[in-house]
Order: sequence, then structure tokens, then C-alpha cells
Amino acid sequence: MSLRPHSTARVPRRPRHGFRRARPRFHALARRGRARPRRRACSHSRPASPLLPRAKSVIWVFLSGGYSHLETFDPKPALNQYAGKTFDQTALENPLKSGKHAARFRSVVADSINVRDVYPIIYPMQVGYAQYGQCGIGITDWWPHLARCADDIAWVRNMWTTDNDHAAENQIHTGRHRLDEVQPSLGAWVHYGLGSLNDNLPSYVVLGGPTNSTTRDSIGAHYLGPEHAGVPFALDPKNPLPFGTRAPGLTDQAQANEYELIGHLNRLTGVEYPEDDALRARIRAYELAYRMQAAVPDAMGFPTESDSIQRLYGLDRDATRTAGQRLLSARRLVERGVRFVQVYPSAYGTWDSHQKLKDNHEKLCASVDLPVAGLLQDLKQRGLLEDVLVVFCTEFGRTPGLEQRGGGKDGRDHHPHGFTIWLAGAGVKPGTIHGATDELGYHALGDGHYVTDLHATVLRLLGLDSRQLQFPGRKRLEIDYGKPITEIMA
Amino acid sequence: MPLLRSITLAHALALALACCIARTHTVAASASVDYVHAIQPVFKERCVSCHGALQQKAGLRLDTGSSTRQGGKNGPIVSQTSPDSSPLLVRLRTQDLDERMPPEGEPLTSDQIEAIRTWIEQGAPSPAQEIPEHDPRDHWAFRPVSRPAIPNTHRVSWIRNPVDAFVAAEHERLGLTPLPEASPEVLLRRVHLDLTGLPPTREERRAFLEDTAPDAYERAVDRLLDSPHHGERWARHWMDVWRYADWYGRRNVPDVWNSAPQIWRWRDWILRSLNDDKGYDQMLVAMLAADEVDPENDIDTVATGFLVRSWYALNPNQWRRDIVEHTGKAFLGLTFNCAHCHDHKYDPISHEEYFQFRAFFEPLGLRQDWVRGEADPGPFQKYDYSTLRKIVRNGAIRVLDEDLGAKTFIYLKGDERALPPEKPTASPNVPAFLRMAPLAIREVALSAHAHRPGTQPWIRDALLQEASAHLTAAQRALTTAESQVRASLSDTNPPARQLSARLAAETAWITASNRTVLAQSELTALEARLAADHAQFLEPASSNVTALMTWASHAERFLAWRKAQSQLADARQALALREVEYDVAAPRRLAEGQSAKQIQDARTKEEEALAKARDQIAQLTKAADAANLALNSNNTSYASIGPVYPERSTGRRRALAQWLTDPRNPLPARVAVNHVWSRHLHAPLVSTVFDFGRNGAAPTHPALLDWLASEFMSHRWSLKHLHRLIVTSNTYRQRSSPPIPRADPVSAPNPNVDATIARSTDERPRDGADPRAIDPDNRYLWRANVGRLESELVRDAMLAASGDIDRTLGGPVLPNTEAETSTRRSLYFEVFPEAGGHDTFTELFDPPDPSECYRRTKTVLPQQALALTNSKFSHDRSQSLAARLWTQLTDTQRASDSSAFIHAAFEQILSRGPQPEEIVACRDFLRRQQTEFQPTPDSATASAAAQGAATPVTSTNPTPAPDARARASLIHALFNHNDFLSIR
Repeated sequence: MSLRPHSTARVPRRPRHGFRRARPRFHALARRGRARPRRRACSHSRPASPLLPRAKSVIWVFLSGGYSHLETFDPKPALNQYAGKTFDQTALENPLKSGKHAARFRSVVADSINVRDVYPIIYPMQVGYAQYGQCGIGITDWWPHLARCADDIAWVRNMWTTDNDHAAENQIHTGRHRLDEVQPSLGAWVHYGLGSLNDNLPSYVVLGGPTNSTTRDSIGAHYLGPEHAGVPFALDPKNPLPFGTRAPGLTDQAQANEYELIGHLNRLTGVEYPEDDALRARIRAYELAYRMQAAVPDAMGFPTESDSIQRLYGLDRDATRTAGQRLLSARRLVERGVRFVQVYPSAYGTWDSHQKLKDNHEKLCASVDLPVAGLLQDLKQRGLLEDVLVVFCTEFGRTPGLEQRGGGKDGRDHHPHGFTIWLAGAGVKPGTIHGATDELGYHALGDGHYVTDLHATVLRLLGLDSRQLQFPGRKRLEIDYGKPITEIMA
Repeated sequence: MPLLRSITLAHALALALACCIARTHTVAASASVDYVHAIQPVFKERCVSCHGALQQKAGLRLDTGSSTRQGGKNGPIVSQTSPDSSPLLVRLRTQDLDERMPPEGEPLTSDQIEAIRTWIEQGAPSPAQEIPEHDPRDHWAFRPVSRPAIPNTHRVSWIRNPVDAFVAAEHERLGLTPLPEASPEVLLRRVHLDLTGLPPTREERRAFLEDTAPDAYERAVDRLLDSPHHGERWARHWMDVWRYADWYGRRNVPDVWNSAPQIWRWRDWILRSLNDDKGYDQMLVAMLAADEVDPENDIDTVATGFLVRSWYALNPNQWRRDIVEHTGKAFLGLTFNCAHCHDHKYDPISHEEYFQFRAFFEPLGLRQDWVRGEADPGPFQKYDYSTLRKIVRNGAIRVLDEDLGAKTFIYLKGDERALPPEKPTASPNVPAFLRMAPLAIREVALSAHAHRPGTQPWIRDALLQEASAHLTAAQRALTTAESQVRASLSDTNPPARQLSARLAAETAWITASNRTVLAQSELTALEARLAADHAQFLEPASSNVTALMTWASHAERFLAWRKAQSQLADARQALALREVEYDVAAPRRLAEGQSAKQIQDARTKEEEALAKARDQIAQLTKAADAANLALNSNNTSYASIGPVYPERSTGRRRALAQWLTDPRNPLPARVAVNHVWSRHLHAPLVSTVFDFGRNGAAPTHPALLDWLASEFMSHRWSLKHLHRLIVTSNTYRQRSSPPIPRADPVSAPNPNVDATIARSTDERPRDGADPRAIDPDNRYLWRANVGRLESELVRDAMLAASGDIDRTLGGPVLPNTEAETSTRRSLYFEVFPEAGGHDTFTELFDPPDPSECYRRTKTVLPQQALALTNSKFSHDRSQSLAARLWTQLTDTQRASDSSAFIHAAFEQILSRGPQPEEIVACRDFLRRQQTEFQPTPDSATASAAAQGAATPVTSTNPTPAPDARARASLIHALFNHNDFLSIR
């Protein structure tokens, strides 16, 4: 079953508010139609049907490059115990000999061109850790602020993917390996399945990325059509959207006059061509555009945010400012009804720590820890955590073994076999630790969760069944649907 | 509140789903089960692809009730007496994943299984007259193209050509009345945009409206088909279908992973081929196999860009997967990709046949050729994991059969590592159901020119020219050096200076003379190698081959010796100079007042350098001795000129191309005709344009599709013939909306408007039935569909209307960063399927996804409005056009009210005159804008500051007058008019 009919002439659905044909002056209308903060609409008692939406919007925080699960949320004392030994020299099963190794891993690069090395020498943890919260989750010392939110979070420690290179970044967003057919990104499916909550803003907004040309699929809509693709906002509040600002030299009134003439002439033409749906859509699109031009900078600027809120996100410190700004913008966007905000707190490949993992992660954790904890607290104190789902993830983990390529002595390579992500907020069972990797942090135990399980979970929390997201003429495979991780759902 | 409402929506959705489930349940619980509604759809969706007409696994078919009752080769599968032990139910219910049916996907739901059980209990009843699934080979698109008779219809006067007859037959059947012809100006704009992608100029419009000859339109069509811009317009369409992409991979490194930097030559080949009306069949042959069909034709070999485009550095399997998938989709309308992992679920293409198809492309490699008039790019740099690939912009890129013995392994699950232990292989072949005759694959012997490009006369000439020029330059340098030596002899400087100047001049002279001798030897060696190559490869029967090879070998060794000598001489010179410098340096440093330590340090350094130089001379002496010794040997080995490729090609792709373009092949012509039709009528005849298989859509007009395909093939696959047929039909020429009767007679000052309206209102639909009720989606073409300018055309039409357009055809790809300021047409800018692959403006108007774009999407988005209202590009065009139109007006027109300007603006931008209400609105707008732009005392500072910003007009006219700004604003508004973006 398809939730949405398909036609190549795509016309946005009629806005649910705002435009009235009878209004004489477009300008006045545009002023009145400006976005307002929305009242929260859901009561606390929801029926327990699995298809009922638990979340209204999603803040998807993606850390590019692959953070080490071992030095973040899945610490492994065995690494310290066996540091410097090979896997074979431990009392534990050699993970390289597990069938999971070949079953789960697939390189983009043909074997004839390159064989990626395996690293059997165990590299110790580069940081200490402790248990936090009622749930007792082990978190490393680099996350002091987030650790305090341990009981608000559901931790998933048995994720796996198949690509061992950075196309895995696309894989966690689209569900497919680089060598398979490209699929729409999760955000695009959400947009396709649910549409918008606010017509003045795009429904799927991307902040801070993707910063590499090869990772565009991570926000793409592919066959769903470009209207479902993520819209990257620049972080400059004066000009967040391409062409979002009036040309220099043009006054507000002069532009309003132009908009009015355009609308008037189009309506005159509409009388002559009543069959033309696109024309009516175009008239509406101009009205939306005019409002969007005002609504987007409003959402992206923080002048109304108090100092304490700005401090909560770390805007007062150099180390945390970038991530903080993006996460605060994300909060403002979901508040205004944006459905899916995909946030990149750091640039492409930043967490990719083949060498000097300790320096790299220490610095990067400090840049994200406070802002993301701030986001959770802020959402919580506003009651938004009941409507907003926060996902925190990366494309893969890092090898328990020391990366020796090129004489390396202080880093870890890409590791698709096991990594940790977390979710918090709407519909999530707080303080849950779900799944595990083996004692060395190598393989996700049991079936683990392929990345589309995370998609299915997000969709289910939004009230969507991944199996029902279909597009005419396109075959989705079993692997695309995933299974919701019900153990972490409230 | 939208938020509330959307939640309600989701609730409603959940409710609806719950109802669905409930309904199914009711069926299951009730006493009787309706086979047609409850059982058959489940079988059809989940079982019939393996147990139906396409495949009969276990000899079982579930496409009818009777075949289900009959069972398979293992006996019956349903038992009324003990339903629960029916093999059907057992296999549906089992937990054993190796046994469970269906083997893929989720198991059937318990409701579905319960319904099947009840049905079995009832004796598995089904209607008597059930029709089994058709034989897949009988699918409409797999049958040969017939040439249907042209239907007779009553609406004789409406029929301009057979296209109309087929469309009218459907109209009659459904009671539809076609709309009258669009007004001449609407029609002219439509056909201009469809055939060239550029709107008519005001002059073209005027000439057309004044042309009263009955064939005025047909002549306009001919003119447009002859226009060089026709090739540009349709090249972009076919580039969509053929997946044109410039190189991509790691742009910021930069590192080429996909396609190639020189791929634009393929774009220019498409453009030229369309303008020359090369047959579509010939184009297909060239794109797949030009190197085998006409190996020496380096104009056509770039057509293999179709195959180059899919090249993928990191994985040769991926290259072939993409080629198979898109050769299937683009040319055959077949989804081969579905058979990559398993037998096709809908079409008779087996897993093995997938690999047989792949085998055509197994031997592929890439080859980089030197292009006349450019620098030699050298051979194609193969991919190596640890080496960056250079961005080579010179030369032409093409394919070749590189590994003639390459095996095609049949792997499983779509994963090349999943190779069964016996390593099965596939030989090239086409799917059995499309084999019109046994495929004849014959190897191609490649001429010397083709496989040793260095033997081509022009390359020989270019190399000789280069070597001669080198010699001449060396001789000239020698002459200069000689005169400097002479000059140094008559030097009047103090003796110490004289000496060093003389030494320098002599050194330069020795070097120059060495260079001259070397250049002479180089030329000689080149000539000798060329002569030997010529004899060996072009006239192998001639008697003096060995003699020439011996000579070439000697010349080459002589050159090597000369080089060694020359290097040695250079090194000795350098040493001599260094020694002199060493001798004089210490006293000079002392005179300069350097400390003893400084002087000693410098001496140590210099001594080290001297020692190194002496070592080097020793080595060079050894090398020169060796080179000297080599002169005494007598052999025929020498380096022949240029790269050497295999002497043969497998001929696989030639055979494939011949099969594709065989008129008996049912698919390629149908698929191509559908693509062309779709781009003129803005709706295809077969909506699944890349899937003509059993899972694809049925054609709306099957007879028309076949007739067009047959007509196409019998006119040497001429695309221009096809265009002409379609755009001169009445079907194409209809209005897009019924005419609106006008209440008040038009009092517009422009006579053209009167003429237009008079012409169009003459012909109103006469029949009574409302076509909107019969065919609201216009599937049967009772009116024209409204098209929208493609992303490239939004930009191109603005450039054309403003008069700023640069009409240069073809050439190297342009960077997207220049798109905002350049006035070249959009198809020349880079396109690739990653971020930055379109410029920010084009990006918003549904540009092609270069990974796959068989049909463009057309969205209407607010961001498009922002791009058109706020971009520098649209402001630049508006200002430029406003100024241009103003200069074209007479003084009287300028002095009078603004209607002349408004007329000109409408004609230029929308290709039509304004209606009276529009004139009123625009006049009022001009007045208001003029006031708005008038500097007022309180806004003066702000607006002056604002005007100081870099609006383009400020460079030519720093303070544009308010009336000029108002006119530019009007133009700007008209560029934002819906009808500027529409093809009406």
C-alpha cells in the first residue's frame, strides 16, 4: 500500500491555513501569515496502539567520520586488560574468525584493487569511564554533561553496518550500501509520509552539512522527487536559504508591489486556463515564498533566546559554539513545526581518527557534550521532549585493534561490525541500555541492528510503518524496511 | 492549528489501517471466503512470480483456483478433508525458514493464512471461467512491432496526419471532442521551446503572425528543426536518458572516481548527431560499439562516452552493473537490474541471462586519445588505490576491449564475493525471449591506425613538427650564445670581471651546442622510429622492415648516448663553475666582512656540494660509457611511437548493437518513440518510460505507439521525421484549456491581440459532452498538456528573452560557479550526482539527477519563487532587457503612456501581447514603483546606501532613474509570471 499517490506534476498540497483568494493585497496577507510558535497539541494520555504517532518531529544529530564506540558509550575493560596482545593471545574468542565478519562486511573497493588490513593487536581505551544514572550505563570521562542525562536516554549498543568506508555515512541515512541502488534518505521518507507542519518553512531541514559532495545522498530524496529532499540552511541568520534575501537596493514595499503584481497577473491568466493546476500551485508558492523569506531568518536567529539558554547550549564558549548554534537552531525549527532536522555538529569526516585518536576525540567530545546535553535539558524543561525525538548517531564504530597502516601507533580504523547510537525523547523508554558488543567491542552480539532498524524505529515513533512507505514502480527490498527496536520504545 | 490537524491526520490514518485489518479479520471469521477478493490477490502478490506463467517452481501454478487445486509435481497441495495438513498451509505456517513460503519477505499474516484455511475447508472453490496468467512472451511490448492500419474516423477535418487518426479514434470511442488549435502566438512559443528550448524573438513572432500562408506553421517547424539550437535542446533530453554526468568522486581533493573530465565530447557528439539527423539506430550503435564498428573514426568513438560515463574507479563490477542496468532501461525499457540477484520476478530474464548480458561488457577498459590541435594527454592513468588520479582535460576518452579473455562470473545475491565454488561463468548473449536469430559475435581485427594510434599520419606529422621546432629553437639559442662569446672577447671590464663573464658565455655556448646536437639526434631518432613503425605496421610486406628497425634501434641508442654525453658535459660545466666560485668566494666573503666561522661554515657546505657533484660526474661517466658500449651491439629493438592496444576486439558489443537496432527487436523503437512523445506532449504513452516489461504500465494508445515505432524505423530511425510528425499533428496543436468566451469586445491597441483572439475564438468545441468529466486527467489527449520549462530552460529562456544569450555551440564543460554570470546555455555547465553538481539556481527547478533521470519531475516550490525574485541572475536579466526594450522604442512611444513598453515586454517575455486588464495592472504598477523608487528625504540615506550595493546596473549607470528602475521591476515581475515558466 502506498501512502501517497504519485504524479509527476507535483503540486504542493493546499496550505492548511493562510491563503485566502479574496484577500485584496498580498502584502498585508504576508505580514499576517508570519509563523508563530505552536502550542503543543498532544495530551499526555495516548492510546497504546503501535501505529499512533509518539513523536511529531525528529532532531537527528549525525557525527561524521565514525566516533569510537569504545571511547564514548561502549567502554571495554578487556581492551586495557589485553592491551598490546593479539586477539589470539587472549582468553576470548578471536572475533576475526567469527562468521559475522564476512557476513556483515562489504567493501566498496573491489578486492582486486585493495584489501583493507585487519588489525589484531588490541589497543587500550584512551580514556577512563564510569557508570552513570539508575541505568548504570558506562560512559567515558569525555562526556561529563551528557552523562548526567543518562536516564533520559535509550542506548543502543549493537548497531552494525556493512560499508567500511565513508559511504557508510550515506548508508546510515539511506539504508543501502554504496554498491546498491540509491534510496531516499530517512528524512525524505518522513517528509513523503507525513508532509509538513508549517508551510512557511521547509519540512526537512539540514544544518551544518553534509559538507562533502559525496554525501549528498544522505539528505537526498532520489525517486521520491526533489520536494522531499533535505533543504540545507546556511547558519548565517541573515541569509540562511539560497536566494532567501531581497536584492540590495529593493525596499520591502517595492518587493511587495512586485509580488502583488505577479499574483494579480497570474490570477488573470488563471481565469483563462482553468485546467492548469500548476498555475494555482504557483500562485500559492509565491505567497509561501514571501512568508518563508521572513520566517526562515526568524527561526535561525537567536536574539530572543535568553543568556541562560545560550549558555546552556555553550554559545558563550569557542569550543562549543558551533555545535551549540546548530542544536539551538534545531530546537527553534522543531518548535516551529519542522518535521525532520538533520544536524551535523561537525564537518565531514571530523571524527575519523586513524591517528591520534585521543587528541581527536578529547577535543571533539568536548565540542558536542555540553551542547547536546543542553538540547536535552532545554527540550525537557519546555515539555518538548514529549513530542520531539532526538537521535544521536555516526556511520560506524572504530576497531578494537590498533590501526597499523602507514606505521600508525595511536588510532583506530573504521569498524562496521559494532557501534553505539542513542535516542531520547518522544516515545523512547528512558534509561534503557539495549544490546551489546562482545567483550572486545568487536561484533554486535546476536542479530544486532542494521541501520534500517533505526529507520524503522524512527518511523514507528512518528506513526509510520516502514513497510507501507512505497513508491509506485520502485521495488524496496526486505533490508530497506528494518524492524523497529521495540525494546527501547515506551 | 496545523499541528493539531496533522496529528488528527495521522490518527485518521491509523484508524483507516485498523479498519483494514478489522475488515480482513471479518472475512476470515465468516463462514465463507471469497476467492476472488480474499485469496487470489494474496497469491498474486506473494506467490505467482514463482508459481505462475513466468516460472512454475515445483511444477506448481497458483494463478488460478483450478491450478491450485491440481497441485504440483509433488502432488496436491490442498486437502479439504484435513485442511491443516494441506502442504500449502504447512509451508505457509512453518517456522523453518528454509521451508517457509513465501521464502522472501514477511510471512503471510495469520488472517491471510486463516482465510486460506477456510477456503481450503470449503473445497477451494473458484469461478469457472478463470483466465490463467498470459505467457510472458505474449506481453504486448515483447511482440514484434506491427504497423497498424490507420483508423477511419468521422472527424475527418481534424486529421492532419496519422497521429491524429489514432488519437481521434480514441476520442470517438470515449465521446471526447478535441479542443481547437491554440492561438498562433501560443503555438509558436510552444514549438519554439519544444524544438530549440528558446522562446521566439519578437521579430520571429511578428513574422509568423503576419504570415498568412496555409503552411506558415509547417515552415516554422522546418526552420526550427534546421536550427543549430535544436541539437542543444534535444541533446539535453537524451543526456537525461543516457545518464550524462561529468566526472565526480572526490571533488575537493580532486580525485576522479566516476565518469571522466573529457566526457563533454560525447555531449557535443550527441548535439551534432541530432543536428545532422543521424539515425537513432546509428547513434545507439556508435554509443555501444563505435570502436568496433568503425575503429578509425575518432569522431564517433567518443560516442562510447555512454559506457565511459558509468566507469567507477574503485570497483570494476560496479561499472558493469551500471552499464547493464542502464543499457536495459534506456534502450530496451527492461529492468535487467532486477535479475542481478535472482531471476526476474516479472519478466522472462533469468539470473544467468543477466550475466550473459553483462558479458558483452566484460572486456571493457578505457583509453585516452590524443586530439589534433591539443597537447598529448598521454595514456589513460589506471586506478591505483594509493595514487591520486590527475584531472586530465585534454584528449578524448573512449572505451576499448582491453581484456579479451575476461571471464564473467555468475555470482549470487548481487554480491560479487558470493561466487559458488565451481565458479560458473556466462558467455555473451541476449535474453532468450528476445533472440530473433542466433547472435553472431565475430572478432574485429583492428587496423594499425586503430590499435597503434601513433601510426596515424597526423600524429607522425605533429611529432616531426614538434621535433623540428625543437631543433630550430636550439639552433637559434646556439647562434645567440656564439654572439655572446664574441661580445665577451671585446669586454672592457676589469680583468677579474672579464674572466667570469667570458667563462659564463663559454659555458652557455657549450650547453647550447650540446642541446643542438641533442635536438638533431632526437629528430633523427624520431624519424628512424617513425620509418620503422611505418614499415613494420603499415607495410609489413616490404623488404626493408628489418633494415629500418635496425636503423631505428641504432638511432635510439645513439640518442641515448648523446643524452648521456650531454648530461655529462653539463655536469662538468657546472662543476667547473662551482670550482671557480669556491676559489673566489673566501676572499670575497672576507672583504664583505663575514666572520671566520661564517666563512668556514660556507666553505664546508661548498666542499660537500663539490664532492656530490664529483660523485655525480663519476656516475654519469659510467652511464655514458655504458651507452657508448651499447652502440656496438646490433639489434632491432626500439620503442615504437605512442601507446599500443590489443590488435583485436571481441566484437561482442557490435553484435549487441546490431541486435538492438534490428527492426525485429520489439523494444528499442517503442521505447525511443515514447521518450520523444513524452517530451512533446508532456505525458508519455507508456508512463513507466524505463520499464516496458510486465510490471510496467500499458500504453494509453497501443496502436499509435506501434505505428510511430514502425514509421520511425521505416524512415531510417530519423528523429527529425518523428518530431515533424508529432508537432505538426492537430493533437499537438490543441489549446491547453477551452477558450473562455469574452464578455466585452477587446479594445486593445495592439492589432495582433485582436487577430489572436479572433483566430482562437472561431473554433469552439461543438459537441456537448464535457471532456473534463469523461477524461479529467487528459489521458486521451482532448487538450494539450501544459509543460514547464526544465531547469536549464528557465535560465536559457531568460538569457534569450533578455538578449544576453551567448549562442556558441559546444565546447569544454563550464564550471557551475560561473553559471550566474555566464551567458552560455545551461547544458554546457557541469552536471554530476553529488553536491555542487548543479548551480544553486538550476538546482531548484528539478534538474536531472545524473544517476538516473528517465523522466523529469516538475515541482512547484516556494524556493523557486525565491530564486526568481531574489537572484542576481534574474535582476541582471531584467535590467538588461528593460534597457534594451527602452532603446528600441520610438521617441513618441516613450513620451506617451507606458503601453508600448508593456506590449514589448509581454511579447518579449511571454511571447504574447497583454490583455487590457493586464495593461491596466502594469501601468498602475509602474506608477507605484516609480514613486517607491523616488528618493524621499527620510529614505534617502537608506536607499542611497542600498543602491550603493553592487546591483549590476550601478556599473553602467550609477543612479538609475526611478522610471528606469520601475521598468526593470516590471520586467522582473514578468520573468516571475507563471506563463514564463510554462509551455502552454
